[in-house]
Amino acid sequence: MKFITWGVAMNLRFLKNELYGHKRRTLSTIVGLSIGVAILIIVNALSLAYRQAARAPLQEIGADITVQRSGNVPKDLTGAVFPCSAVTIRDEEITRISALPGVVGIGKAVLLWVFDPHRAWIVLGIEQQNSVGPAVLRNAVTEGRFLGPDRAEALVETAYARRFGIKVGDTLSLADRRLTVVGLLDASKAAKIAIANVYVALAEAQSLAASSRKVQSVSPFDPQDVNLVFIRADQTKVPALSSALRTMLGKQAAIGTPDSFLKLLGSVYAISDKFTVVASLIALLVSALIAFKTMAGNIAERAREIGVLKAVGWTGRNVMSQIMAESLVQGVMGGLLGFAVAVIVAVGLSFMTVNIPIPWEMSPVPHFLPGGGDQLFKTLALPIHIPWTLAAFAMLLSLVIGVVTGGLLIGTVSRIKPSEVLRHE
Amino acid sequence: MNKPDILAGSCLSKHYGNIEAVKGVSLSVAEAEFVCLTGKSGSGKTTLLSLLSGLENPTAGHVRLAGKDITGATEDELALFRREHVGFIFQSFNLIPTLSAWENVALPLFPVKMSDVERRRRATELLRKMELGDRIHHRPAALSGGEKQRVAIARALVNHPRILFADEPTGNLDSVTGGIILEILKNLHRKEGVAILMITHDEEIAKTADRVTRMHDGEVIS
Repeated sequence: MKFITWGVAMNLRFLKNELYGHKRRTLSTIVGLSIGVAILIIVNALSLAYRQAARAPLQEIGADITVQRSGNVPKDLTGAVFPCSAVTIRDEEITRISALPGVVGIGKAVLLWVFDPHRAWIVLGIEQQNSVGPAVLRNAVTEGRFLGPDRAEALVETAYARRFGIKVGDTLSLADRRLTVVGLLDASKAAKIAIANVYVALAEAQSLAASSRKVQSVSPFDPQDVNLVFIRADQTKVPALSSALRTMLGKQAAIGTPDSFLKLLGSVYAISDKFTVVASLIALLVSALIAFKTMAGNIAERAREIGVLKAVGWTGRNVMSQIMAESLVQGVMGGLLGFAVAVIVAVGLSFMTVNIPIPWEMSPVPHFLPGGGDQLFKTLALPIHIPWTLAAFAMLLSLVIGVVTGGLLIGTVSRIKPSEVLRHE
Repeated sequence: MNKPDILAGSCLSKHYGNIEAVKGVSLSVAEAEFVCLTGKSGSGKTTLLSLLSGLENPTAGHVRLAGKDITGATEDELALFRREHVGFIFQSFNLIPTLSAWENVALPLFPVKMSDVERRRRATELLRKMELGDRIHHRPAALSGGEKQRVAIARALVNHPRILFADEPTGNLDSVTGGIILEILKNLHRKEGVAILMITHDEEIAKTADRVTRMHDGEVIS
C-alpha cells in the first residue's frame, strides 16, 4: 500500500512537471475551458437573476399572480368609477379561483377613480389583515396608524398628502363620504402595483363602488365583489394557473405573472430560455473545441516523448493514464478558474440595477392627472447569484470535457509506436 | 568457453507495404559482448535494432531475448519486457525536457511500484557514476550534449538491463565528447558485463567493438 501511494506520488511529479513545464499549452487548455465554464455560469445566473427580478414587484405584495378584468369607462367621469383596466370580478369567481390547484392564498382589493368637483382621487380599498395583496402596506405607514375596524377611516399617500397639505386627523370628503385620515403611507417604499392616493377599508371601497351608478352602468358590482385579485401560488404551478385563470375569466382577463414582467423587460436574457440554452451550448462547444485542439496539438508535439516512454517500458495503459490524468487536472482547473471568473463577473454585475416596467393597467392613473402618462418602474439591484448546483454542474462539465477529450486522444496515443522514435533519429 | 546468447534474431524480415526493410537477417549477441552494426543510411540498421530490441514485431523470423522468444508478443508485453531487460540510448538523447536529470533517469521506474526514495537513490547513484553528481536537479536544457547523453546512459541502466541498444550514441556529439561516451559504454561492457548492440556510421568506433556486423539493402553482408 505504501509503495502504491509512493508510485502515485511519482506520477503526480511527472504530471505536475508536464503541466507546469508546458505553461502556455496548459494555460491555453485551462483558459479555453474556463471561458466556456464562466460563460455558462454567467449566462444562466443572469437568466435566473432577471427571472428573480421580474418576481420582485409581485413578491413585494406577497403575490405571484394578479388578476384584473378590463372593461369600459363611463363617458361622464364623475363620482366613483372603475378604471378601464379593472372592472368587476365576482365574489363567486374568487371562490372558484381559490379552489384552483396551486393557489395558496388570495388577496382582494377594489381600485376606484373618484372624481369630485374639485379633485380627482385614486382610491384603493384594502383588506386589513392579509399577507397577500395590498394589506402588506401596513408596513409602509410612516405617520399615524394603519386602518382600524372603523370603516370611516383613510390613509393618504405621503407625497399626495404633502402636495395637498393633508395631515393625520384631517377629514376627507370622498364621493360624499367623510373619512378621517388616520395615517400617512409611503407608497414609494412599497410595491408599484395598485398604488393609490387614498387607501380605505375594502368594505368601504366595495360600498362606494356598489353605490356608484357610473360603476353599475359599465360593470354591475355587488358589495362582495372586487376588481383586483392577488394570488399567492405554488411557484411551479404559476404558468398552469395563469392559463386556467384566462380560461375561467375570459379574454378580457389581464393576468399578471413574473413571466409577463419578464417579457416587458425586453432583455435577451428575459426574452427566451432558448437564448440561455443556445448561448450555454455554444460556450461549451467552443471550450470543448479549444480544449480538444490544444490537447490534440499537445499529443502531436509529444509524439516523440510518448514514443520514448513506451520504449523505456511504459505500457499503453501507463501512457494513457498519464494523458488522462493531465486532461482531468486541466478539466478541474478550467472548471475552478471558470467558476472564479464567473464569481468576479457576478460581483461586478450585482452593482447593476434593473428597471422593471410596471404595466399601466396594474397601477392605472388617469392620463389627464399629473404623472398619468408616465411609465412606472420598479428599480432594484440585479439579484444575481450563482447557485451551487449551477457551479457544480458547470465544473463537472469542464471535468467531463477534459476526460472526454483525453479519451478521444487515446486512439492517437495508442497509435504512436516506440519504434517510430528511432525512425526519427 | 563460448558465452550463451543474450540476443538471437533468426531469419528476420520486416515489410513496410511493398518495401522490405530487413531481408531474412540472422544476428546474435552473446552475453557481455559488444557488437557494432554499421552500414549506410537506409541499409536497415535501425529497423533491425527495432526488431531485435522488441520495439516492434518482425514480419517474419524470430527474436529470442534474455532467454525468451518475444516474437508475436503484444505491445504491452514487449513494453514490460523492455522495462525488465533492455536499455536504450538514442542519438538525440530523447530526454523529457520538463523533468530534471534524476527524474529522467528514473523515467523507466515511474510505472514500477517502488518508493520515491528508492527511485531517487538509484537515479542519483547512476548520475554520480556518470560524474553528474552536480547536475542531478538540472533540466536537459541546462545540460551540454555530453551531459545529456550521460543522463540518457544512466536512464538506460536504471533497470539493470542485460543488454543495451544504442543507436548512434555519439552521432550528435563532437569527437571529444563522443570519445568520452564511447569510453563509458566500453567500461560498462568490460567492467559490468553488459552486452551492447550499437549502431554507428563511424568505422573507427566500430573497430573498438568485439564484433562488427555490416548491413546493405536490408541484408547482413559481413
